[in-house]
Amino acid sequence: MVNLPPPEILLQLSLNGALGGAMYGVAAVGLSLIFGTMRLIFLAQGAMIILAAYFVRALFYGLGIDPFLSLLIVVPVGLGVGWLIYQGLFRKAAAEEDRNVSLLIAVGLMFLVQNLMTVIWGGNTAGVVTSYTASGIELFGVRTSFTRSMGFLIALAGTGLVMLFLRKTIVGKAVRAASEDMDAATLMGISPHRVNAIAFAIGISLAGAAGVAVATTFPFNPFAGFIFSLKALVALALGGIGNVTGALAGGILLGLIEAYVQFFISGGWTNAIAYGVFLAVLMFKPEGLFSRPYKKA
Amino acid sequence: MSRASRWIAIVVVAVLALLPFLPGAVDAYYFSFLFFVSLYAVMAQSWNLVAGYGGQISLGSHAFFGLGAYTTAILWSGNHLWGSLYDSHPNIYYFDPVTMLLGGFVAALAAVLIGLPLLSKLHGDYFALGTLGFGEIVKVIFVNGGDFTGGAFGIVAPASSFDTLRPHYWVGLGLMVATALAIHALMRSRYGLALIAVRDDEMAASANGIDTLKVKVAAFAGSAFIAGVAGSLYTFYIFHVGPDSVFDLDWMLLPLMMTVVGGTGTLLGPILGALVMYAVFDLARIVVPDYHPVISGLTIILAMLFLPKGLMRVGKRLKTA
Repeated sequence: MVNLPPPEILLQLSLNGALGGAMYGVAAVGLSLIFGTMRLIFLAQGAMIILAAYFVRALFYGLGIDPFLSLLIVVPVGLGVGWLIYQGLFRKAAAEEDRNVSLLIAVGLMFLVQNLMTVIWGGNTAGVVTSYTASGIELFGVRTSFTRSMGFLIALAGTGLVMLFLRKTIVGKAVRAASEDMDAATLMGISPHRVNAIAFAIGISLAGAAGVAVATTFPFNPFAGFIFSLKALVALALGGIGNVTGALAGGILLGLIEAYVQFFISGGWTNAIAYGVFLAVLMFKPEGLFSRPYKKA
Repeated sequence: MSRASRWIAIVVVAVLALLPFLPGAVDAYYFSFLFFVSLYAVMAQSWNLVAGYGGQISLGSHAFFGLGAYTTAILWSGNHLWGSLYDSHPNIYYFDPVTMLLGGFVAALAAVLIGLPLLSKLHGDYFALGTLGFGEIVKVIFVNGGDFTGGAFGIVAPASSFDTLRPHYWVGLGLMVATALAIHALMRSRYGLALIAVRDDEMAASANGIDTLKVKVAAFAGSAFIAGVAGSLYTFYIFHVGPDSVFDLDWMLLPLMMTVVGGTGTLLGPILGALVMYAVFDLARIVVPDYHPVISGLTIILAMLFLPKGLMRVGKRLKTA
């Protein structure tokens, strides 16, 4: 029988897990949007997050712009880049019957971005160190770092904004309709290319927001993104594919699972157990853990 | 296949098979190039069987490649548990066909065990995601395998066995020809027709009395068998089998890409794709060594934008037009 550690430690574990997991969550929200309209597993999402992190780092060390302030630059740039990526790379492939084509374009984009980053910034681990990087917050005897909490807030705010957009605007409604049934949506006069491009724009700008959170919290290197894409996929499956709030919740749940496995079993098995949960959910509850019948978001 | 193209194929294979007798050929650069092309062509053929003909997009080929590689490495050179048994005469199992076939069988067994639950429950993208997760789990298991798998470092095989690249070349060529012939024969059999029927319309296939699960699992296992044997061959080349080398995602992504570039669901597409793409990568590696992965990424994107149906179908389109 395992002896339960004192409650402070459990609380601390849960907090660390949830804060780390929110990063997977925000990556998963982007994946979820893109998957929703295009049925594409956008494997390059992690690489885009790391690209944003390098961009934030360059803004900080080059122009002295505070990483959190740079959200104001990164998010709009992400919207534009996402739009361009769709129009330039995926527009033609989206019309193809064979979805391997768009999957492979995503893989090619991942290779391209990863290696461009290596060429420009080198393959070494980089980070952003600000005056507040080391500062912490203490609440009810539980400690956490300021940057991690900010990352969590960014994830919440990003998901919240996307939710508002999907729920309250007519364009958001079109995106939701297209994710549910592209053919029917097209018959209703919704342009598939437009909703796909919007999904991409929002997905990449979320990658930008995640990049800010990653840059301030973790050291990163050009190849760190792929594992992010995989973790985001797990979060996506846990939350239910196509469910935006579920994706964030799935990310947080994945973070919690990882934190507990690391503590109670061993760090070496974290990934195996995370993917094991992923397989189990895919098989037994493919609609996700948080889905409600007949109400999708 | 027409009579003329059959003769062309026989002549090409015969020339390739006799190539190692050409003086200096074995030491030439193109010799190892051809070996790698054949290895990738076998992997591409493996993916083509389950995804191109079977319509089940698998993203777990690297797991089966790695399983075959590890099986061979453990049988051939032993591991820390029973290594001493074979230490005295490691050369016996060098290119031992039984060892290679066992590599394929272990991979196929794993494919059946994971394929039965996955394929009965998951369709389309969900199956693809499931196989991706499976690949990651297998990798973690081998990293944590302790003395049995050599942990994160892996297993070092006796490099003293190495003499010349000739056997690698011949076995690679042989595997490439054998898989192409086997798939050709398979696709003309009842089983092949059933597989294509399942790909094109699963419900209609099942209504016509095809046991769709059995057909899909068999294709998945056959694909895994081919990948396992390819992994086994790679072990005899690389001599050091580690989780980061043989479970590398490239062993899934590159063959997938080669197949799509060559032409998914065509017999010669995977071979053509392997030849063209490996040539592009190698050329980039030689000409612009610092930027070659950038070029590779660009090539994939360009190939998909302008040749989404694959090279094999370019000719077909010209012929019908």
